[in-house]
Amino acid sequence: MTQLEGKTALVTGGSRGIGRAIVQTLAQAGARVAFVYQSNAQAAEQLVAELAAKQLSATAYQANVANKDAADDIVKKVVDGWGKLDILVNNAGIVRDTLLATMSPEQWHEVIETNLTSVFNFCQAVTRPMMSARYGRIINMSSVAAEFGNKGQTNYAASKGGIEGFTRCLAKELASRGVTVNAVAPGFIETDMTAAVRNAAEAEIKKAIPARRLGKPEDIAQAVLFLAGDGASYLTGQVLKIDGGLTLGGF
Amino acid sequence: MPTADEIFAKVRETLVDALGVDDDEITPEATLVGDLGAESIDFLDIVFRLEKNFAIKIPRGELFPESLAADQSLVKDGVVTPQGIAELRVKMPHADVEKFSKNPKVENIQELFTVQMIVNFLQNKLSGGSA
Repeated sequence: MTQLEGKTALVTGGSRGIGRAIVQTLAQAGARVAFVYQSNAQAAEQLVAELAAKQLSATAYQANVANKDAADDIVKKVVDGWGKLDILVNNAGIVRDTLLATMSPEQWHEVIETNLTSVFNFCQAVTRPMMSARYGRIINMSSVAAEFGNKGQTNYAASKGGIEGFTRCLAKELASRGVTVNAVAPGFIETDMTAAVRNAAEAEIKKAIPARRLGKPEDIAQAVLFLAGDGASYLTGQVLKIDGGLTLGGF
Repeated sequence: MPTADEIFAKVRETLVDALGVDDDEITPEATLVGDLGAESIDFLDIVFRLEKNFAIKIPRGELFPESLAADQSLVKDGVVTPQGIAELRVKMPHADVEKFSKNPKVENIQELFTVQMIVNFLQNKLSGGSA
């Protein structure tokens, strides 16, 4: 595949789960990809090696995405090194599920900062280079939890709802500059992050999904690939749910 | 130190790129919003491009001051107060506040933002002035 030939991309939370699939998919489509990982250096190195074995290159940066200086620094390195940044995927996200009554301020702030403040940090850092280039694709990772809510996820759903509002505002701000801003809202996807809830209720969950299966990281990566491409230039400010029909309601 | 003509030529080039307008639309008197169709994001873009083209730093709010109309003490009944006009003279020595003061309606503030205003600002900036 060469649909992203000549493009450059930056993916946060890129070493595992959905982010890993996005890095692989964008690289396979011909893009030069940089990704940010927080803690699992082994997973990051393994991903770089896997891609290298396929003659694809990816660059890994370790950082806390909630840190503004780190975001500025990474975006600067990518833009200086490759001359431009075409695609930003804000994928980094964590859960700290617990009922509100027992949620610590730390659990609240950690989720808001990692999931939502990181989007502010990286979007602000790419605004100038993308505006100047009159081209950009920003894709933010939301969740169906933003719209539908789950018990124990007030912090997570607030961060994702925040991302959706943010996405619509920034889409309007940058539309005249050839920069699109969209969000993807996955349903239940088979990743480490959903392992706990899947272990507890996988059969129940599958019953609720019309497609009768959980999603795979690749299902999300394919949507990101479409949004990142030249063909999606008139699509902006949207939230695309990818959930096997989970949230359709009815019968 | 470039001459005023050289600065104007470079500003014209910058505005052609930023706003997608024709060369001949860019006269010294042309207003950015009314004549050249600039929107809020364009002001940011213009600043970015001027910084690059002139190799200078333009602190936020220095060339295009923000939210002038939001301050209640500076605007009354849709008209900029004498205090507000004094404030404009301080904040925007590069703008023709004199002309504005003859009909100081809030909606006329945007007429301060002319091509000549940008040239004045840069002339001062490039000669080592603070604003």
